[in-house]
Amino acid sequence: MSRAPYSHQEMVDAVVIGTGAGGAPLTARLAKAGLSVVALEAGRSFAPNDHVADELAADIYWMEERLSGGADPTAFGSNNSGMGVGGSTLHWGAFCPRPDARDLQLKSLTGQGADWPIPHAELIAYVEEVEAFTGVSGPADYPWDARRRYAYPPVPRNASADAMARGCEAMGITATDAPAALVSRDRDQPYWGQRQACVNCGTCHQGCRNAAKTSMDTSYLPFAVAHGAEVRSQARVLSFDLDHEGQITGVVYHQGGEERRQRCRAVFLCAGGVESPRLLLNLGLANSSGQVGRNFMAHVATQVWGRFDDEMRMNRGYPSSLITEDMMRPAEAGCAGGYLIQSLGVLPVNLATQLARGAGMWGTRLQSLLRQYNHMAGIGINGECLPHPDNRLTLSDETDAFGHRKARIDFSYHDNERAIDRHSRQVMTAIWEAAGAKDIFAIDRSAHTIGTCRMGGNGDEAVVDADGRSFDIANLWICDNSIFPSALAANPALTIMALSLRTADRFLALSKARAA
Amino acid sequence: MTQPSLVFLHALGASHREWDGVRADLSDIDGIALDLPGFGERKGEGYADVAAMADDLAGEIRRRRLTACILVGHSMGGKIATIVAARAAAGEVGLAGVVGVVLVAASPPCPEPMDEDRREQMIGWVADGAIGRADAETFVDANTATPLPEPLREKAIADVRRSSREAWLGWLERGSLEDWRARVGRVSIPALIVAGAEDGDLGEAAQRAHNLPHYPHAEVRSVEGAAHLIPYEQPQALARLIRAHVAAVASSALPAAFVAILGSDRVSRRTRTAMLERTRPVADAPAGWTAAERAIAAQLVAHILPEVEDMDGLAARVERAVNQGQGDGWRFAELPADAEAWTRGLATLDAVSGGFVALDHDAQANWLERIAEGQGGATDDERHLSPAQMVLWFQDVRAEIVRQWVALPATMAAIGYDGFAVGGDGPRKQGYSRTAATDVETWQQVRETMA
Repeated sequence: MSRAPYSHQEMVDAVVIGTGAGGAPLTARLAKAGLSVVALEAGRSFAPNDHVADELAADIYWMEERLSGGADPTAFGSNNSGMGVGGSTLHWGAFCPRPDARDLQLKSLTGQGADWPIPHAELIAYVEEVEAFTGVSGPADYPWDARRRYAYPPVPRNASADAMARGCEAMGITATDAPAALVSRDRDQPYWGQRQACVNCGTCHQGCRNAAKTSMDTSYLPFAVAHGAEVRSQARVLSFDLDHEGQITGVVYHQGGEERRQRCRAVFLCAGGVESPRLLLNLGLANSSGQVGRNFMAHVATQVWGRFDDEMRMNRGYPSSLITEDMMRPAEAGCAGGYLIQSLGVLPVNLATQLARGAGMWGTRLQSLLRQYNHMAGIGINGECLPHPDNRLTLSDETDAFGHRKARIDFSYHDNERAIDRHSRQVMTAIWEAAGAKDIFAIDRSAHTIGTCRMGGNGDEAVVDADGRSFDIANLWICDNSIFPSALAANPALTIMALSLRTADRFLALSKARAA
Repeated sequence: MTQPSLVFLHALGASHREWDGVRADLSDIDGIALDLPGFGERKGEGYADVAAMADDLAGEIRRRRLTACILVGHSMGGKIATIVAARAAAGEVGLAGVVGVVLVAASPPCPEPMDEDRREQMIGWVADGAIGRADAETFVDANTATPLPEPLREKAIADVRRSSREAWLGWLERGSLEDWRARVGRVSIPALIVAGAEDGDLGEAAQRAHNLPHYPHAEVRSVEGAAHLIPYEQPQALARLIRAHVAAVASSALPAAFVAILGSDRVSRRTRTAMLERTRPVADAPAGWTAAERAIAAQLVAHILPEVEDMDGLAARVERAVNQGQGDGWRFAELPADAEAWTRGLATLDAVSGGFVALDHDAQANWLERIAEGQGGATDDERHLSPAQMVLWFQDVRAEIVRQWVALPATMAAIGYDGFAVGGDGPRKQGYSRTAATDVETWQQVRETMA
């Protein structure tokens, strides 16, 4: 095995594009198995100490322009993708419910959406491995899964969580401390160092300054590098070199003001639900199914807000410290799947823009609500979205600095999403009334980018197979939220990390079989 | 509104006493005049180099817990003021209260332009020890436009003579020659740069050439009837200029309790720098709006956030963000790029309302309601937006205006937000030990209303 750094002429076993939840775990896995791996990251590298506890100054988001269309345009920027070594795990909320078994068989059980070609038990085994490697804090007993255990005790609830617990109890809804991908005690992370216990600072979305939160740059990537992988930052992938059989022989990327290429035997495209399909569409590759960019799904992320007599100061503490899974299959709701409810703590700029956009406010009401920031608290959902032909990612005629056409994402709610939105507004409003909130109102919102390179059983309907391998290009693998066949109600990052380990195992098994 | 205090720094061969005349005219404003090591009351401390003098000043600001102050530096003291201002602007702990700088015939960050013969002559004055009376007289008379009246002249001469030999030599042979340009860089703190109309090496031309480039928010003023010892020569004129600068920067001063937290080690340097940067004035946007567009935008601010007093200032921040900013990572597919969307949106608003700015408040509000409901727009030509586009654009308008307002430290102070005071630069990060409702920690500020 040759050691990093690898020369461009060297034929490395794998190039991984993107170092977030999709790319990092498999980079670690492949390197551990002795493969030569180069991971390319568009953003720069950060130390935890570089992060800034300010909403406008935080610089860990993918801020290149995306065009958002449809009847319910979804917001990008700080709301979704990340940029930097670690990808979106730099800014993610660390809220990490596990995928529900019913959500993986949505089509079989409801006739709608799609099934996953992966057994739930197999996925959960990987989820548990991710949880063990990264360290998750959560309740001693998880009401919706008696066998589940978390390594660390939960972080303290904040005022929003206490209010939600109060409201849920009054309504007969079960709620508990949320599983959070952060450590509530100091932890020595192998090959990285000490991750300090969460200090309840509330700035997860601006980047964790003491590495309490699970982020790829303080977990899987240092493991990968210790096992011989190389991570190249500020390396923006432009195109692939193909041989006469259509297999990829090298990755062309922009770095340090010049075009470079890395020869390789396989490519893992892990750039996220927007950039992965966008790259393939720009290059006209891996799309004989016509499915690249289709099936775009964003979670219904409706929020309900209110004002409390008490001083809440919701910026304090882990933002999403309470969860209920009671609405995973709400009766009479008229939706295929269901939704999770979480307590919310958001910082002022986030709240302000949500009020101005999602609640359509301005004037005296807007300003007086913002002045009462310290008295406000909210709850929100993550609701399962179904694919729809109208909801897709296409290419705009406008190009970016690298000559690639920008992504245009059209997104509109349909019956299922409207049903979830309607039902959740009623439930959350009732919870908030029971909790003692006043001046209650709702905010329209959607979040996450899912499904644009769907995984499936055949190349007519899907972009990758059950292993995550392209039907068209034998040495191209995709691993991020783009391959999700259905959206799941659970927030995607934990599942992406689990899929990443599985993708590596499937790749290694296939290589072994071929060698034998 | 917080009234900033003044911190006076004297010149070579002077002491806090050189400011007596100026301070007499500013007695209603809090102020302190310091002696730098080796001068005045601190003659016995000998030589402190430039870095040590800057540390001395920074230490004084911290020790006194100054939460809104303007550094006023004369000649040698000006170089020290600039260096400390640069450290404050770069987010150093405990210096968040430096809101303004006044340079008086100030020595610049670069090696001070000084006639070499004169330097040699002044060095020669201490060849045998203390500065003699005749040499001190020469020094004072050479640096004034006309001889100072008594007892001022006698006072100035006495201060020259009570400079320590080491400090005198240290400045002439080393301190004045040290090059601090790279360390100082650009200082975003608003500055007033004062030159004596009859000064030599440090006159207006030198101030423009050597000090002004370090201050993007600065104005230069020349004082008639003064050479280099302006505080002695024209104390009233100088006091008037300083008073105007105090008034100009007072609006950017933050409540004391807020600055105490912002300056504390609970806040990381990057966070503090970013927040302080937002307290500075917005320079004219080079590729921005016309005056007419600015006026409409200011009116929009008044509707989105009725309590904002400085509508023009907030509109200027929006203008900068829209025209020069990185954007927020996305835009509505139905709208053109942000800068163009704003230009067209403003034009459309003005066209459909028949001149938005001239309308009374209720009529303006009525138009905004109609636009939000999709009933206000033009045909989608290359200069206007359609009613459907106006709905989206007006959403962008609300979001951008409110985003810029909420991100202002003054707004954070007004709403009692202290979430920036977490994760400082130490080995263990600060957060919150109490997270439940009503349970507030002692370090957290009390709510303060915005003036």
